[in-house]
Amino acid sequence: MKIELIVNGKQQELDSAPGETLLHLLRRIGYKGVKKGCESGDCGACAVLLDDRVVNSCLVLAAKADGHRVTTVEGLAGQDKTGELHPVQEAFLEHGAVQCGYCSPGMIIAAVDLLAHNPNPSDQEIKEGISGNLCRCTGYVKQIEAIRIAAEKMRKSADV
Amino acid sequence: MALSNLKEYVRPDELDVALSLVKERGTSARVIGGGIDLVRSSSPDIETLVDLSHLSLSYVRQTDKGVAIGATTTLTEILEAPALENYLQGVVVEMLHQVGAPPLRNLASMGGTLASAHPWSDVITLFLALGAQVTLYNGVTRMVPLSDLYASRALLSPAIITEALLPAYAKGTAAAFMKFSRTKFDIAILNCACLISTQNGDCKGVRLTAGGTPQLATLLPAAAEVLLGRRLNQTSIGQAAGIARETTLVRDDLRASGNYRRELVYAGVKRCLTCVSRQLSGVSQ
Repeated sequence: MKIELIVNGKQQELDSAPGETLLHLLRRIGYKGVKKGCESGDCGACAVLLDDRVVNSCLVLAAKADGHRVTTVEGLAGQDKTGELHPVQEAFLEHGAVQCGYCSPGMIIAAVDLLAHNPNPSDQEIKEGISGNLCRCTGYVKQIEAIRIAAEKMRKSADV
Repeated sequence: MALSNLKEYVRPDELDVALSLVKERGTSARVIGGGIDLVRSSSPDIETLVDLSHLSLSYVRQTDKGVAIGATTTLTEILEAPALENYLQGVVVEMLHQVGAPPLRNLASMGGTLASAHPWSDVITLFLALGAQVTLYNGVTRMVPLSDLYASRALLSPAIITEALLPAYAKGTAAAFMKFSRTKFDIAILNCACLISTQNGDCKGVRLTAGGTPQLATLLPAAAEVLLGRRLNQTSIGQAAGIARETTLVRDDLRASGNYRRELVYAGVKRCLTCVSRQLSGVSQ
Protein backbone atom coordinates (compact mmCIF):
# COMPACT_ATOMS: atom_id res chain seq x y z
CA MET A 1 0.00 0.00 0.00
CA LYS A 2 1.06 3.61 -0.60
CA ILE A 3 1.50 5.88 2.38
CA GLU A 4 2.62 9.47 2.73
CA LEU A 5 4.84 10.58 5.55
CA ILE A 6 6.56 13.84 6.33
CA VAL A 7 9.84 12.61 7.76
CA ASN A 8 12.00 15.34 9.29
CA GLY A 9 10.16 17.93 7.22
CA LYS A 10 10.47 16.04 3.94
CA GLN A 11 7.29 14.70 2.34
CA GLN A 12 7.70 11.16 1.07
CA GLU A 13 5.41 8.71 -0.71
CA LEU A 14 6.35 5.20 0.28
CA ASP A 15 5.33 1.61 -0.37
CA SER A 16 4.62 -0.36 2.77
CA ALA A 17 3.20 -3.79 3.51
CA PRO A 18 0.04 -3.46 5.66
CA GLY A 19 1.72 -5.08 8.69
CA GLU A 20 5.03 -3.18 8.48
CA THR A 21 5.91 -1.16 11.56
CA LEU A 22 7.06 2.44 11.42
CA LEU A 23 10.36 1.31 12.94
CA HIS A 24 11.07 -1.07 10.07
CA LEU A 25 9.97 1.40 7.44
CA LEU A 26 12.10 4.23 8.82
CA ARG A 27 15.21 2.06 9.05
CA ARG A 28 14.54 0.63 5.57
CA ILE A 29 14.56 4.11 4.06
CA GLY A 30 17.75 5.08 5.86
CA TYR A 31 16.85 6.59 9.22
CA LYS A 32 19.21 4.38 11.22
CA GLY A 33 19.12 6.75 14.18
CA VAL A 34 15.86 4.98 15.00
CA LYS A 35 17.27 2.02 16.92
CA LYS A 36 15.83 -1.46 16.93
CA GLY A 37 15.75 -2.72 20.50
CA CYS A 38 13.11 -4.87 22.14
CA GLU A 39 10.45 -4.40 19.43
CA SER A 40 7.83 -4.74 22.15
CA GLY A 41 7.47 -1.19 23.44
CA ASP A 42 9.61 -1.69 26.52
CA CYS A 43 13.00 -0.09 25.80
CA GLY A 44 12.28 3.16 23.94
CA ALA A 45 15.32 2.85 21.64
CA CYS A 46 13.04 3.26 18.61
CA ALA A 47 11.29 6.40 19.90
CA VAL A 48 10.31 9.04 17.35
CA LEU A 49 7.97 12.01 17.42
CA LEU A 50 4.68 11.28 15.69
CA ASP A 51 3.37 14.75 15.01
CA ASP A 52 4.70 16.26 18.24
CA ARG A 53 4.44 13.35 20.69
CA VAL A 54 6.95 10.65 21.48
CA VAL A 55 5.92 7.12 20.49
CA ASN A 56 7.61 3.76 20.21
CA SER A 57 7.89 3.29 16.45
CA CYS A 58 7.95 -0.49 16.97
CA LEU A 59 4.34 -0.27 18.17
CA VAL A 60 3.07 1.90 15.32
CA LEU A 61 2.05 0.42 12.03
CA ALA A 62 3.48 2.48 9.18
CA ALA A 63 -0.06 2.66 7.79
CA LYS A 64 -1.24 4.35 10.98
CA ALA A 65 1.35 7.08 10.48
CA ASP A 66 0.03 7.80 6.96
CA GLY A 67 -0.41 11.55 6.52
CA HIS A 68 1.45 12.42 9.71
CA ARG A 69 4.72 14.13 10.58
CA VAL A 70 7.53 11.95 11.89
CA THR A 71 10.65 13.36 13.52
CA THR A 72 13.65 11.12 14.12
CA VAL A 73 16.83 12.05 15.94
CA GLU A 74 18.34 12.94 12.55
CA GLY A 75 15.73 15.68 12.21
CA LEU A 76 16.48 17.47 15.47
CA ALA A 77 19.71 19.14 14.49
CA GLY A 78 19.66 22.12 12.20
CA GLN A 79 15.94 22.67 12.37
CA ASP A 80 16.75 26.36 12.03
CA LYS A 81 18.91 25.59 8.96
CA THR A 82 22.13 26.48 10.80
CA GLY A 83 22.94 22.81 11.36
CA GLU A 84 23.27 23.39 15.10
CA LEU A 85 22.47 20.57 17.43
CA HIS A 86 19.23 20.68 19.39
CA PRO A 87 19.85 21.96 22.96
CA VAL A 88 19.03 18.50 24.33
CA GLN A 89 21.63 16.92 22.04
CA GLU A 90 24.20 19.54 23.07
CA ALA A 91 23.50 18.96 26.74
CA PHE A 92 23.83 15.17 26.33
CA LEU A 93 27.25 15.67 24.72
CA GLU A 94 28.53 18.33 27.10
CA HIS A 95 27.42 16.62 30.29
CA GLY A 96 28.47 13.06 29.59
CA ALA A 97 24.98 11.64 29.21
CA VAL A 98 26.09 9.21 26.48
CA GLN A 99 28.01 6.01 27.07
CA CYS A 100 27.36 3.27 24.51
CA GLY A 101 24.85 5.59 22.88
CA TYR A 102 22.26 3.02 21.85
CA CYS A 103 19.51 4.51 23.99
CA SER A 104 20.51 8.11 23.27
CA PRO A 105 18.37 8.81 20.17
CA GLY A 106 15.20 7.55 21.85
CA MET A 107 15.96 9.25 25.13
CA ILE A 108 16.75 12.56 23.40
CA ILE A 109 13.48 12.34 21.46
CA ALA A 110 11.57 11.66 24.71
CA ALA A 111 13.28 14.66 26.33
CA VAL A 112 12.41 16.90 23.38
CA ASP A 113 8.72 15.95 23.76
CA LEU A 114 8.88 16.52 27.51
CA LEU A 115 10.44 19.99 27.21
CA ALA A 116 8.07 21.02 24.43
CA HIS A 117 5.12 20.39 26.75
CA ASN A 118 6.74 21.19 30.08
CA PRO A 119 9.56 23.74 29.77
CA ASN A 120 10.41 23.67 33.47
CA PRO A 121 10.13 20.06 34.64
CA SER A 122 11.02 18.86 38.12
CA ASP A 123 13.46 15.96 38.43
CA GLN A 124 10.47 13.71 39.10
CA GLU A 125 8.80 14.92 35.91
CA ILE A 126 12.03 14.33 33.97
CA LYS A 127 12.16 10.79 35.36
CA GLU A 128 8.59 10.19 34.27
CA GLY A 129 9.32 11.76 30.87
CA ILE A 130 12.11 9.27 30.17
CA SER A 131 10.54 6.35 32.02
CA GLY A 132 9.90 4.59 28.72
CA ASN A 133 13.60 4.67 27.79
CA LEU A 134 15.94 2.06 29.20
CA CYS A 135 19.65 2.78 29.58
CA ARG A 136 21.86 -0.09 30.70
CA CYS A 137 25.08 1.97 31.03
CA THR A 138 24.66 5.21 32.86
CA GLY A 139 22.23 4.85 35.74
CA TYR A 140 20.28 7.83 34.35
CA VAL A 141 21.93 10.46 36.57
CA LYS A 142 23.76 12.18 33.71
CA GLN A 143 20.74 12.13 31.41
CA ILE A 144 18.52 13.70 34.02
CA GLU A 145 21.18 16.35 34.64
CA ALA A 146 21.53 17.00 30.89
CA ILE A 147 17.77 17.37 30.42
CA ARG A 148 17.60 19.79 33.35
CA ILE A 149 20.40 21.87 31.82
CA ALA A 150 18.83 21.76 28.35
CA ALA A 151 15.56 22.96 29.86
CA GLU A 152 17.32 25.92 31.49
CA LYS A 153 19.06 26.79 28.24
CA MET A 154 15.83 26.56 26.23
CA ARG A 155 13.97 28.74 28.74
CA LYS A 156 16.72 31.35 28.56
CA SER A 157 16.71 31.46 24.77
CA ALA A 158 12.90 31.68 24.79
CA ASP A 159 13.20 34.75 27.06
CA VAL A 160 15.66 36.50 24.73
CA MET B 1 6.74 -10.53 11.09
CA ALA B 2 3.69 -9.96 13.26
CA LEU B 3 0.35 -9.64 11.47
CA SER B 4 1.74 -11.82 8.69
CA ASN B 5 -1.64 -12.29 7.01
CA LEU B 6 -2.76 -8.67 7.22
CA LYS B 7 -4.17 -7.71 3.83
CA GLU B 8 -5.90 -4.40 4.37
CA TYR B 9 -5.67 -1.40 6.63
CA VAL B 10 -8.73 0.81 6.43
CA ARG B 11 -9.47 4.21 7.96
CA PRO B 12 -13.15 4.87 7.35
CA ASP B 13 -14.57 8.38 7.64
CA GLU B 14 -17.95 7.16 8.86
CA LEU B 15 -18.89 4.96 11.79
CA ASP B 16 -21.39 2.98 9.70
CA VAL B 17 -18.67 2.12 7.20
CA ALA B 18 -16.42 0.94 10.03
CA LEU B 19 -19.21 -1.22 11.44
CA SER B 20 -20.05 -2.66 8.01
CA LEU B 21 -16.42 -3.68 7.53
CA VAL B 22 -16.35 -5.39 10.91
CA LYS B 23 -19.59 -7.19 10.13
CA GLU B 24 -18.53 -8.21 6.62
CA ARG B 25 -15.04 -9.40 7.52
CA GLY B 26 -16.14 -11.16 10.71
CA THR B 27 -13.40 -12.60 12.89
CA SER B 28 -10.69 -11.68 10.38
CA ALA B 29 -11.23 -7.98 11.16
CA ARG B 30 -10.11 -6.06 14.21
CA VAL B 31 -10.98 -2.53 15.25
CA ILE B 32 -8.03 -0.41 16.38
CA GLY B 33 -7.60 2.84 18.25
CA GLY B 34 -3.87 3.09 18.99
CA GLY B 35 -3.29 -0.44 17.75
CA ILE B 36 -0.40 -1.22 20.09
CA ASP B 37 -1.73 -4.60 21.14
CA LEU B 38 -2.32 -5.79 17.62
CA VAL B 39 1.02 -4.64 16.18
CA ARG B 40 2.69 -7.47 18.01
CA SER B 41 -0.03 -10.01 17.35
CA SER B 42 1.09 -13.24 15.72
CA SER B 43 -2.50 -14.29 15.03
CA PRO B 44 -2.78 -15.61 11.46
CA ASP B 45 -6.52 -14.87 11.56
CA ILE B 46 -6.19 -11.09 11.32
CA GLU B 47 -6.56 -9.91 7.73
CA THR B 48 -8.18 -6.49 8.16
CA LEU B 49 -7.56 -3.63 10.56
CA VAL B 50 -10.24 -0.96 10.86
CA ASP B 51 -8.62 2.18 12.26
CA LEU B 52 -11.12 4.53 13.94
CA SER B 53 -8.84 7.56 13.94
CA HIS B 54 -10.77 9.43 11.20
CA LEU B 55 -14.10 9.30 13.05
CA SER B 56 -13.65 12.41 15.22
CA LEU B 57 -13.77 10.32 18.37
CA SER B 58 -10.83 12.02 20.09
CA TYR B 59 -12.23 14.36 22.75
CA VAL B 60 -12.74 14.86 26.46
CA ARG B 61 -15.88 16.90 27.13
CA GLN B 62 -17.58 18.14 30.26
CA THR B 63 -21.31 17.41 29.94
CA ASP B 64 -24.19 17.73 32.39
CA LYS B 65 -23.98 13.96 32.96
CA GLY B 66 -20.25 13.87 33.62
CA VAL B 67 -17.06 13.72 31.58
CA ALA B 68 -17.38 12.12 28.14
CA ILE B 69 -14.26 10.60 26.60
CA GLY B 70 -14.17 9.62 22.90
CA ALA B 71 -12.94 6.15 22.01
CA THR B 72 -9.80 7.17 20.13
CA THR B 73 -8.66 9.70 22.74
CA THR B 74 -5.16 8.75 23.85
CA LEU B 75 -4.32 8.24 27.50
CA THR B 76 -2.08 11.33 27.29
CA GLU B 77 -4.95 13.43 25.95
CA ILE B 78 -7.10 12.23 28.84
CA LEU B 79 -4.33 12.93 31.32
CA GLU B 80 -3.93 16.48 30.02
CA ALA B 81 -7.66 17.26 29.69
CA PRO B 82 -8.78 20.25 31.79
CA ALA B 83 -12.15 18.54 32.38
CA LEU B 84 -10.45 15.82 34.41
CA GLU B 85 -7.97 17.96 36.32
CA ASN B 86 -10.33 18.36 39.26
CA TYR B 87 -12.73 15.47 38.62
CA LEU B 88 -12.95 13.63 41.97
CA GLN B 89 -9.81 15.32 43.26
CA GLY B 90 -7.86 14.43 40.09
CA VAL B 91 -8.03 10.66 40.64
CA VAL B 92 -8.05 9.83 36.91
CA VAL B 93 -4.99 11.98 36.28
CA GLU B 94 -3.19 10.45 39.24
CA MET B 95 -3.93 6.94 37.97
CA LEU B 96 -2.86 7.71 34.39
CA HIS B 97 0.52 9.00 35.56
CA GLN B 98 1.13 5.41 36.68
CA VAL B 99 0.12 3.75 33.41
CA GLY B 100 3.10 2.73 31.30
CA ALA B 101 5.33 5.55 30.09
CA PRO B 102 4.69 8.55 27.81
CA PRO B 103 5.46 6.74 24.51
CA LEU B 104 2.78 4.17 25.34
CA ARG B 105 0.29 6.69 26.72
CA ASN B 106 0.67 8.72 23.51
CA LEU B 107 -0.55 5.72 21.49
CA ALA B 108 -2.92 3.78 23.71
CA SER B 109 -6.53 4.83 23.28
CA MET B 110 -9.32 4.79 25.83
CA GLY B 111 -11.52 2.56 23.65
CA GLY B 112 -8.68 0.15 22.93
CA THR B 113 -7.84 -0.04 26.62
CA LEU B 114 -11.42 -0.92 27.56
CA ALA B 115 -11.86 -3.38 24.67
CA SER B 116 -8.52 -5.16 25.19
CA ALA B 117 -9.50 -5.82 28.81
CA HIS B 118 -6.02 -6.61 30.05
CA PRO B 119 -6.33 -8.05 33.56
CA TRP B 120 -3.70 -5.70 34.95
CA SER B 121 -5.35 -2.58 33.47
CA ASP B 122 -5.24 0.34 35.90
CA VAL B 123 -7.77 2.24 33.77
CA ILE B 124 -10.39 -0.51 34.02
CA THR B 125 -9.96 -0.94 37.78
CA LEU B 126 -10.58 2.77 38.35
CA PHE B 127 -13.29 3.21 35.70
CA LEU B 128 -15.27 0.30 37.19
CA ALA B 129 -15.06 1.89 40.62
CA LEU B 130 -16.19 5.22 39.18
CA GLY B 131 -19.26 3.59 37.65
CA ALA B 132 -18.21 4.40 34.09
CA GLN B 133 -20.70 3.87 31.28
CA VAL B 134 -19.70 2.95 27.73
CA THR B 135 -21.48 3.84 24.54
CA LEU B 136 -21.62 1.02 21.98
CA TYR B 137 -22.60 1.31 18.35
CA ASN B 138 -23.98 -1.69 16.46
CA GLY B 139 -26.24 0.21 14.09
CA VAL B 140 -27.97 1.81 17.04
CA THR B 141 -26.31 3.59 19.91
CA ARG B 142 -26.74 2.35 23.44
CA MET B 143 -25.08 3.06 26.72
CA VAL B 144 -24.25 0.27 29.15
CA PRO B 145 -22.36 0.12 32.43
CA LEU B 146 -18.72 -0.82 31.87
CA SER B 147 -19.23 -3.77 34.22
CA ASP B 148 -21.82 -5.19 31.77
CA LEU B 149 -19.22 -5.17 29.00
CA TYR B 150 -17.06 -7.55 31.00
CA ALA B 151 -19.98 -9.63 32.19
CA SER B 152 -20.94 -10.26 28.57
CA ARG B 153 -18.27 -9.81 25.93
CA ALA B 154 -20.98 -10.67 23.40
CA LEU B 155 -21.96 -6.99 23.65
CA LEU B 156 -18.94 -6.25 21.44
CA SER B 157 -19.73 -8.72 18.67
CA PRO B 158 -20.22 -6.86 16.49
CA ALA B 159 -20.23 -3.41 18.05
CA ILE B 160 -17.79 -0.53 18.37
CA ILE B 161 -17.05 1.37 21.57
CA THR B 162 -17.47 5.04 20.74
CA GLU B 163 -17.36 6.78 24.13
CA ALA B 164 -16.98 6.34 27.88
CA LEU B 165 -18.77 8.50 30.40
CA LEU B 166 -17.41 9.16 33.86
CA PRO B 167 -20.54 10.19 35.79
CA ALA B 168 -20.81 13.51 37.60
CA TYR B 169 -20.97 13.15 41.38
CA ALA B 170 -22.33 15.46 44.03
CA LYS B 171 -20.25 17.06 46.74
CA GLY B 172 -19.41 14.57 49.47
CA THR B 173 -18.09 12.01 46.99
CA ALA B 174 -14.43 11.01 46.77
CA ALA B 175 -12.38 8.36 45.00
CA ALA B 176 -8.93 6.84 45.28
CA PHE B 177 -6.69 4.50 43.29
CA MET B 178 -3.79 2.39 44.46
CA LYS B 179 -1.35 0.38 42.40
CA PHE B 180 1.26 -2.12 43.54
CA SER B 181 4.02 -2.79 41.03
CA ARG B 182 7.77 -3.34 40.98
CA THR B 183 8.32 0.19 39.74
CA LYS B 184 5.79 2.96 39.32
CA PHE B 185 5.52 2.32 35.59
CA ASP B 186 5.45 -1.49 35.62
CA ILE B 187 2.33 -3.56 35.07
CA ALA B 188 0.39 -3.86 38.32
CA ILE B 189 0.91 -6.85 40.59
CA LEU B 190 -2.43 -5.73 41.96
CA ASN B 191 -4.48 -2.55 41.82
CA CYS B 192 -7.45 -1.26 43.81
CA ALA B 193 -9.86 1.63 43.60
CA CYS B 194 -12.81 2.98 45.51
CA LEU B 195 -15.58 5.52 45.19
CA ILE B 196 -17.48 6.66 48.27
CA SER B 197 -20.53 8.92 48.30
CA THR B 198 -21.58 10.23 51.68
CA GLN B 199 -24.66 11.80 53.25
CA ASN B 200 -24.29 13.55 56.59
CA GLY B 201 -20.91 11.88 56.92
CA ASP B 202 -22.21 8.32 56.45
CA CYS B 203 -21.41 6.15 53.44
CA LYS B 204 -24.37 6.18 51.09
CA GLY B 205 -22.79 4.66 47.98
CA VAL B 206 -19.68 2.47 47.96
CA ARG B 207 -17.86 0.92 45.03
CA LEU B 208 -14.66 -1.02 45.62
CA THR B 209 -12.63 -2.79 42.93
CA ALA B 210 -9.49 -4.89 42.71
CA GLY B 211 -7.71 -5.84 39.49
CA GLY B 212 -4.64 -7.75 38.39
CA THR B 213 -5.57 -10.50 40.82
CA PRO B 214 -4.30 -11.64 38.20
CA GLN B 215 -7.73 -11.56 36.60
CA LEU B 216 -9.57 -8.53 35.27
CA ALA B 217 -10.84 -6.07 37.86
CA THR B 218 -14.12 -6.84 39.56
CA LEU B 219 -16.30 -5.10 42.08
CA LEU B 220 -15.97 -6.20 45.71
CA PRO B 221 -19.64 -6.07 46.81
CA ALA B 222 -19.28 -7.80 50.19
CA ALA B 223 -16.58 -5.40 51.32
CA ALA B 224 -18.56 -2.43 50.02
CA GLU B 225 -21.74 -3.49 51.79
CA VAL B 226 -20.16 -3.45 55.23
CA LEU B 227 -19.54 0.29 54.87
CA LEU B 228 -23.07 1.30 53.91
CA GLY B 229 -24.67 3.63 56.44
CA ARG B 230 -21.45 3.85 58.45
CA ARG B 231 -18.76 6.44 58.88
CA LEU B 232 -15.32 5.84 57.50
CA ASN B 233 -13.05 5.29 60.49
CA GLN B 234 -10.27 2.93 61.46
CA THR B 235 -12.74 0.22 62.52
CA SER B 236 -15.00 0.28 59.48
CA ILE B 237 -12.07 0.61 57.08
CA GLY B 238 -10.30 -2.33 58.73
CA GLN B 239 -13.45 -4.45 58.51
CA ALA B 240 -14.01 -3.65 54.84
CA ALA B 241 -10.36 -4.38 54.00
CA GLY B 242 -10.56 -7.64 55.94
CA ILE B 243 -13.67 -8.76 54.04
CA ALA B 244 -12.02 -7.77 50.76
CA ARG B 245 -9.03 -9.93 51.68
CA GLU B 246 -11.26 -12.91 52.44
CA THR B 247 -13.62 -12.62 49.46
CA THR B 248 -11.43 -11.52 46.55
CA LEU B 249 -10.41 -14.36 44.25
CA VAL B 250 -6.63 -14.29 43.86
CA ARG B 251 -4.11 -16.74 42.46
CA ASP B 252 -0.44 -17.17 41.62
CA ASP B 253 1.21 -16.03 38.42
CA LEU B 254 4.73 -15.03 37.43
CA ARG B 255 4.40 -11.62 39.12
CA ALA B 256 3.26 -12.70 42.58
CA SER B 257 1.78 -15.49 44.63
CA GLY B 258 -1.89 -15.63 45.49
CA ASN B 259 -1.07 -15.29 49.17
CA TYR B 260 0.92 -12.13 48.55
CA ARG B 261 -1.90 -10.73 46.43
CA ARG B 262 -4.39 -11.49 49.21
CA GLU B 263 -2.39 -9.27 51.54
CA LEU B 264 -2.14 -6.59 48.83
CA VAL B 265 -5.94 -6.56 48.54
CA TYR B 266 -6.12 -5.83 52.27
CA ALA B 267 -3.46 -3.12 52.09
CA GLY B 268 -4.83 -1.59 48.90
CA VAL B 269 -8.43 -1.37 50.04
CA LYS B 270 -7.33 0.00 53.40
CA ARG B 271 -5.13 2.66 51.80
CA CYS B 272 -7.79 3.66 49.26
CA LEU B 273 -10.43 4.03 51.96
CA THR B 274 -8.05 5.92 54.26
CA CYS B 275 -7.19 8.26 51.39
CA VAL B 276 -10.90 8.87 50.68
CA SER B 277 -11.62 9.39 54.36
CA ARG B 278 -8.94 12.10 54.50
CA GLN B 279 -10.27 13.75 51.35
CA LEU B 280 -13.81 13.81 52.73
CA SER B 281 -12.67 15.29 56.01
CA GLY B 282 -10.63 17.90 54.14
CA VAL B 283 -7.21 16.72 55.35
CA SER B 284 -4.58 17.17 52.68
CA GLN B 285 -2.52 14.15 51.67
